[in-house]
Amino acid sequence: MIGPVWLASYPKSGNTWFRIILANLSRDEPADINTLRSADWTAGNRAPFDAMLLIPSALLTHDEADGLRPRVHEALVREAADAASDGMAPSFVKVHDAYTLTPNGEPLLGGIAAGAILIVRDPRDVAPSIASHSRTTIDQAIAILNDRDGGICTGTRGVSQQFRQRLLDWSGHAASWIDQRDIPVHVARYEDLLADPVHVFMAAMAFAGRPADLDQVRRAIGHSAFPALQAQERASGFRERPRPGDALGGPFFRQGQAGAWRDTLTETQVAAIEQAHGTMMRRLGYELSRPAGGGMGG
Amino acid sequence: MYFYCISGLSVESEIALPGRIAADRSGGAADVRIRSGRVPEFLEGAIAAAPTWQMTDRFFVLRIPGVARFLLCDGDTILFEPAPGTPVADLAIFLLGTVFGVLLHQRKYVVLHASAVCVAGRAVLFCGASGAGKSTIAAALGRCGYPLVTDDVCAVTLDRVPVIHPDGRQLKLWSEAIDALDLAAARHGPVRQCLEKYYVQPGFAHPAPAPVGAIYVLREPRPPATFGIEPLNPADSAAILHEQAYRRRLVAQMGQTALYFRAAIAIANAAGVFYLTRAMDFADMDRVVALLEDHWRAIGLEARAA
Repeated sequence: MIGPVWLASYPKSGNTWFRIILANLSRDEPADINTLRSADWTAGNRAPFDAMLLIPSALLTHDEADGLRPRVHEALVREAADAASDGMAPSFVKVHDAYTLTPNGEPLLGGIAAGAILIVRDPRDVAPSIASHSRTTIDQAIAILNDRDGGICTGTRGVSQQFRQRLLDWSGHAASWIDQRDIPVHVARYEDLLADPVHVFMAAMAFAGRPADLDQVRRAIGHSAFPALQAQERASGFRERPRPGDALGGPFFRQGQAGAWRDTLTETQVAAIEQAHGTMMRRLGYELSRPAGGGMGG
Repeated sequence: MYFYCISGLSVESEIALPGRIAADRSGGAADVRIRSGRVPEFLEGAIAAAPTWQMTDRFFVLRIPGVARFLLCDGDTILFEPAPGTPVADLAIFLLGTVFGVLLHQRKYVVLHASAVCVAGRAVLFCGASGAGKSTIAAALGRCGYPLVTDDVCAVTLDRVPVIHPDGRQLKLWSEAIDALDLAAARHGPVRQCLEKYYVQPGFAHPAPAPVGAIYVLREPRPPATFGIEPLNPADSAAILHEQAYRRRLVAQMGQTALYFRAAIAIANAAGVFYLTRAMDFADMDRVVALLEDHWRAIGLEARAA
């Protein structure tokens, strides 16, 4: 029985793109972005929890639900192993949560997991992407990146189809995955995936124990090129966009670029991000636009 | 002791069950008894299990860590044991939901995960997963004068026609929905002290069984689905209704797959099955109600109950 490989990332960091490449791996024709089946389940989704435990997770507090989520992961893996004929292929599961402990003190995402592929992206590019996705200002998006108690679906006045997912701040999210010692983690930078998709993707697959064929990967990446994804979204929409049916808001597949922040962010905004996350940015190889310890002033 | 009629069964309970239809204390024994007692952590010889439950042919244990454990016996007795510090009032929501739903499964009822209102004497069902908006639509329709038949747990019996059995006078809504639908005056207590979800009585209830009139499966307008109502063909109707079984995992575990397929076909034959596709946006609710009323006229259900 082999546990899942988490496809972990802070939001708006290339997780969906990675999953689209995965979905295209075993296909001759481009995968329909609205019928992606590359991830076997999404860790934030309440439905498998509710179906398995027979308790509506919405009737539990966020912390109570977190306490049970590891049990659900184990049970889902056991079931998948029972159902699979070979029982060996690790499944990929999308996850935005930071690597945290439940109120019982156990890792929310440790346990049965085989490992994690952590996709990271320059926070200066994440900020405008969040702003577009969530229809906030860029300053609000930066406040999200800098919020040490950050999370998604954190509300208590209604219910979302997803669990509360603790993100921490951008640095805390990356550190939580990289510094934990429970499961192996492989870091892939979004920027490297853009620059050299074939080799970065193949390295991630090798880490996951599912080495992929070079030609297969080349074809999958061709089918997952941004212009092709944008054309699909223009023609038929994208079901993973927030607020489906909402005519407002930009497309999900925006630019697929690295470094666009240089034309988007003000100097003050760049400084706010670099001041909060300079240490982790340098650790991940993102060059700062100003010297370390530089203040907000000009 | 409290006495109720829930999903067509007489129920005798040691604790109050908010919003249920009160019944006279009858001479005979109740169909279902709910009382406090010792509940084992685990069942010996379980034939099916998951981290929070185990079952045998006769028994079922549901464990909600930090809240309570429940033991169901033979479809007629429910024992509850609260965890230390849990207010007993917090148990009702679990008793009325999963626990009663499992009990109905033990009694070989067909149970759908649906809320229903009464339109011209017929039950109109809204099916969907938790959080799909079943109760919100039922509440919005209740505010427009359509009586509530059931919320969340929808018991069906198959006589000449499929009949839906009422479960109570109140539904359960989050404060967000209560505010958006302007139902603060209809709000009762919270379903749990620690949650902002409340029992709400938006209007009248329909206290008698009602033949099924139409069934809507709720979905969001994610591509390729777009706003509107779309009929399902008979084969798809039966398959989709089977998917809408309450706590569906138990249908197979309890050997009732064939029963559900038969029921789904009977229900699909007796009533139209439709997708209702709309954004989960409270601001759109009037438009959804208008769409439904138009649809009821089109399929021959009267627009307004007398």
